[in-house]
Amino acid sequence: MIKSTKYLGYFLSVSFFFNFNWNSVAQSGKDTLHLPEFEVKSNYIFDNLGFKRVKLDSITLIPHINADLSTILTEYSTIFIKSYGNGTLSTPSFRGTTAQHTQVEWNGINLNSPMLGQIDLSLVPVSQFDGIEILYGAAGISRTSGAFGGVINLVTNPDWNNIAHLLVAQTIGSFDNYTTDVNAALGNRFFQSHTKFNFSSGLNDFPYYNDYLGKYVNQQNASFKIYGISQEFFWKLKDKHLFNAKVWYSQADRDLPPTTSNADSAYTEKLSDKSLRAVIEYKYVEPGLNLLAHSAISDQAMKYRSLLISSNHQPNTWINRIRFTYNRIRKLSLKPGIDFNYDWVYSDNYEGMKTRSTLSLFAEINYEFNKKIKSSLVVRDDIIDGKFMPVIPAIGLEYKPFNKINLQVTANAARNYRFPTLNELYWEISGNPDLKPETNYITELGLIYNLTSGNKILFLEFTLSGYYSWIYDMIVWTPVEGNSSLWRPENVRQVNARGFEIGTNIDWQILGFYLGLKANYTFCRSTNEKSIVPDDNIVGKQLIYVPVDNLNSTISLQRWKFYFKYNFLFVGKRFTSTDNSYYMPAYSLSNIILGKNFALNNFILSLQVQINNLFNIDYQSVASRPMAGINYSFTLKFSFIKSVD
Amino acid sequence: MKSNKPIIYIIQQLFIVSVFTFFLGSCSKAPIRETPVDPPPDTTVTPVTYKNGIFIINEGNFNWGNASVSFIDNSTNTVIQDIFLKANQRGLGDVAQAMTIYKDYGLIVVNNSNRIEVVTLKDFKSYTSISGFYSPRYLELIDSTKAYVTSLKENIAVIDLSTFTITKEIPTPTWTEVLALFDHQMFVTSVGDFTLSNEKRKAQLYIIDTQNDVTVDSIMTGKEPMGIVIDKKQKLWVLCTGGYDFYEAPSMLRIDPVLRVVEKVFTFPNDGNLPKKLCINSTRDTIYFIKDGVYQMPVTANEIPSAPVIKSNGRVFYGLSIHPSNGSIFVSDVLDYVQDGKIYQYNSSSGTLLNTYKAGRIPAAFCFTN
Repeated sequence: MIKSTKYLGYFLSVSFFFNFNWNSVAQSGKDTLHLPEFEVKSNYIFDNLGFKRVKLDSITLIPHINADLSTILTEYSTIFIKSYGNGTLSTPSFRGTTAQHTQVEWNGINLNSPMLGQIDLSLVPVSQFDGIEILYGAAGISRTSGAFGGVINLVTNPDWNNIAHLLVAQTIGSFDNYTTDVNAALGNRFFQSHTKFNFSSGLNDFPYYNDYLGKYVNQQNASFKIYGISQEFFWKLKDKHLFNAKVWYSQADRDLPPTTSNADSAYTEKLSDKSLRAVIEYKYVEPGLNLLAHSAISDQAMKYRSLLISSNHQPNTWINRIRFTYNRIRKLSLKPGIDFNYDWVYSDNYEGMKTRSTLSLFAEINYEFNKKIKSSLVVRDDIIDGKFMPVIPAIGLEYKPFNKINLQVTANAARNYRFPTLNELYWEISGNPDLKPETNYITELGLIYNLTSGNKILFLEFTLSGYYSWIYDMIVWTPVEGNSSLWRPENVRQVNARGFEIGTNIDWQILGFYLGLKANYTFCRSTNEKSIVPDDNIVGKQLIYVPVDNLNSTISLQRWKFYFKYNFLFVGKRFTSTDNSYYMPAYSLSNIILGKNFALNNFILSLQVQINNLFNIDYQSVASRPMAGINYSFTLKFSFIKSVD
Repeated sequence: MKSNKPIIYIIQQLFIVSVFTFFLGSCSKAPIRETPVDPPPDTTVTPVTYKNGIFIINEGNFNWGNASVSFIDNSTNTVIQDIFLKANQRGLGDVAQAMTIYKDYGLIVVNNSNRIEVVTLKDFKSYTSISGFYSPRYLELIDSTKAYVTSLKENIAVIDLSTFTITKEIPTPTWTEVLALFDHQMFVTSVGDFTLSNEKRKAQLYIIDTQNDVTVDSIMTGKEPMGIVIDKKQKLWVLCTGGYDFYEAPSMLRIDPVLRVVEKVFTFPNDGNLPKKLCINSTRDTIYFIKDGVYQMPVTANEIPSAPVIKSNGRVFYGLSIHPSNGSIFVSDVLDYVQDGKIYQYNSSSGTLLNTYKAGRIPAAFCFTN
C-alpha cells in the first residue's frame, strides 16, 4: 500500500499549521499500532523556512517499542550519543556541542533538568511517544534559547479514525532484561484517550573482558527498574477547537555500575529518578489563523546514594506557551508568541530553594518573495528574573530553483545564547553567580532533494547540510586557580564547531518486496580555540568524546509479512585528552531485527527476534565503561485494531 | 519507467557500498580501548631495570581508569611512560595516590580502585594486590612487619608486610589522611566527616600507639590537615589548607610530639591560594610546599617566606618532592588535567630549572629509588 504521497505536496506548500503535531493530525494519525506498511514520505518538515527539521515517524519506531531514546537516536539520527552502558547514563552531543546544548522536549515540554541543563536519554522509553522531531542548530530557536546543537521533540498524536487500539508487548532479553509495554487507545472522531504503560527491568550482568583483572567477568551492580505510565485525552470540537490533557509519570531505580578498574569493589552506588509531567493544551484552528496555548508542570526528584554520599534534588518547572499564527496577509505569515517558565529547585547542595523565572518574547515572520524564494526571520528575547538578555535573532532563506524538481536550497544564520544552569550558578561553594551566558554564532547551508517515481514505487531523498559555528564564553568546570580541590564553572572555553551531514532515505517497492535504506553520515570538527593554562596545547584540537566521523544506516526489507532490519553503526575515534594525544579507537556495530506479523481480522500477533552487537565487538564507548557483547531479545506483541474506515 | 533507470542504478550502488561497509566493519576485532596516538617505544626488547631513578605516580582522571607510573631513568635521564602497563599488560587502575618502597617491592595506593598494588621493583611486575579498603589514601611503614593505610571512609588498616594482607583495623570515626611515624607513635591527620561541611567537620591529629595499634591521644588542628613532616629537631609540622571552601585562613602547625602540644601556628593570608604538598628534604632542615608557586622554608624560620622560590607563572603545580640525595625540587604541572602532565626539576638553592620531563595524566607524587 502506498499512501500519503499527496501530503508531500502538502508539506511543500507553506504550511498553515505551525506545529508538527498539527500536520500529523491530518496525516496517517497514530500508527504505532498499525502494521508496518510501505509508506512514501519525506523525513523533512517543510516549515520554519530555511532551517533544518527532520522527523522520525512511528513506522520507524515500531520494531523498537522496547528500546529507549538513546538507541533510536544512535541508530537513526546524526546526533552522537555518549553512552556509559546499557540502562546507564546516555547523553547527546549534537553538532559538536555538549549535552547541555541539546534540549529534549515531550510535546513541547522541556524535559531537561533545570539543575543540570541536560537529560539522561536512557530514561525515556520509545513506547511513550509516537514520533520524533529533530530541530537542527538554529531551528531550535523557535522553541528555546541555548540549544546550540538543536532540539529533540517527542510527540504523541491522536488518530481521529481510531475506535480501539490495544497493544501488549513483552520482550525477554539477554542478561535477565525484560520489557513490558501495554498501550490502549480508545475513542471516536471527537474524543480519544490513550493510556500507555511501560516497565523494564534488567540484571544487566553481561560478561566482558576486564583488562585490569585480566579475565572475563560479569558486569556488577548494573541492574535497573524503569517504569512509566501516561494518560492522554484529546478532544476536538467542530474541527476548530482542540483540547488535550496529558499526564506522564515515570520512575527509574538504578544501580550505577563501577568502572572496569573498580569492578571488584563491594561498594555500590544507587540512583533513583522520579518525574511527573502534566500538560493541558488548547489549539484553535481556522484557515489562515490559529492559536496554541499550553501550560505544563514538570516535577522531578532525584536521589543519589553511595557509602559516602547521599544527596537529594527536587527540580520543578512550570511551563507556559502561547503561539499565534496569522496567514491572511498575502505572502506574509506572522507567528508571535510568548513563553513563561518558572523553575524552583530544592537540593541538598543548594543553600535554600533556588528559583528562576524566564519570560520569552518570540516572533517569527515568514515572507514569500515569489514561488521560488521564501524567507523567515525569528526573533527571541529572554527576560530572566526580570533582566533583559541580549536579543536572539535567526534568519532563514529557502530557494526552490525548479518547478518540477523537488530540490531545495536552504541557508540560515543566527546568534544564540545559553544561560547558565542552576547548578552552575548555585551549587554549594562551587556555584558561580557571576557567569555570563554562552554566545553562539551559527550559519548553515542545506540542500534537500527528493523524488517520487511516476508509478510511485520509488521514493528517494537526499540531503546535505553544512554548518559553521563559534561558541564563546563556554562554561566549563575548571579547578580554581590556587585551589585544585575546588572546581568551579567558568566562562573559559571558546569552540569552533563545523561539519556536514549527509542523509539518504530510500523506499522502493519491487517484486513485491519493500526495501528501505536510511543512512546518515556526519563529519564534525569541534575544536578548542583558546588556551586555558600555559603550554596546554589545546588550540585547534578536537573536543574530547566528540567523534569526527559518525555513520549509521539501516536497511529494511519486507515481504510475506516478514520484516527485517539491518542496522549498521560506525563511530569514529573519540579523543580522550584535550591535546588529542589519546583516543578511543573507532568501532562498528551491527544489529538486526527479524519479525513476522500474523493477522486475523482485527488481531495481529507479531513475533520478533533482535540481535544486538551481531559481531560481538569488544568495545567501550567511554573509557573504562564496559559494553555488552552479542546479545539477544525476543518480543511477542499482540494487538487489536478497530478503526472507523 | 525509463526515467527511473539512473535512480535505480544509484540505489544499487548505495546498497553495494552499504553491504561492503558492513563487512569492513565486521572485520575489526581488536578490543576498543583508550590508546595513545604515539605509542611509547617497546621496552620489552631491551628490558629496563628500575634500579636507579624516580617513579612518577600519575593519578589519572577520576573514574577514567588511566592512573599510571612513569619512570625517570637516572642513567639515561630519559622517561619511560606507563611502566606498570608495560610490565603487566594491564592498567594500574583509577586514581593512584602514592608509592612507597619496601625492601624489593613497590606499594602503590590506588585510591578509587580500592587496592594497593604490590610490584617487584626490578621489573615492576605485579606481585600481589591488597584489597578490602574503601578509598585508601596513604601508606606509612612502621617497621619490617607492618604498615598503616589511611582511608576516606573510616578505619586505619594495618597491613602485614610479610603476607601483604590487612590484619587489623584501627577504628577512627572519620576520614584519615597523612601519617608520620615518631618513636612508636603514628601521627595521623584526620579531616573529619567527609559528608559534612567544614563548619561541622572536626579536623584533628590522632596519635596511635603502633605497638598496640590503639589511638592514645588527639590534637585539634586547622581545617583540612593534608600534610605532615618531621624535622631534624624532632618537631612535627602539619599543614592545614583551611578548607577547600576557604573556610578559614590556611595554617601550619609546629607540634612537639613528645609533649603533644602545638608550639607555634603559622597563619597564611586567606588569599584564595591554598597551601599543599608539604615535604621536607633529606637533611630535614628545610620544608617545602606549594602555594601556587613552590615555597622553601628553613625549619628554624619564624615566619612563612613572603615569596616563592619557584613562581608558577600560571602553571598548575600539583605534586612536589625533594630529591633525597641532590636536594633538587621536583614539581609537577597538570596543565588542564585532561592531558599528560609535566615534571620540572629545579635547583633548590638557585631556583634554576634543571630539567623538564613528560609524565602521565595528572602527575601527583614521586618515589625515589634508594
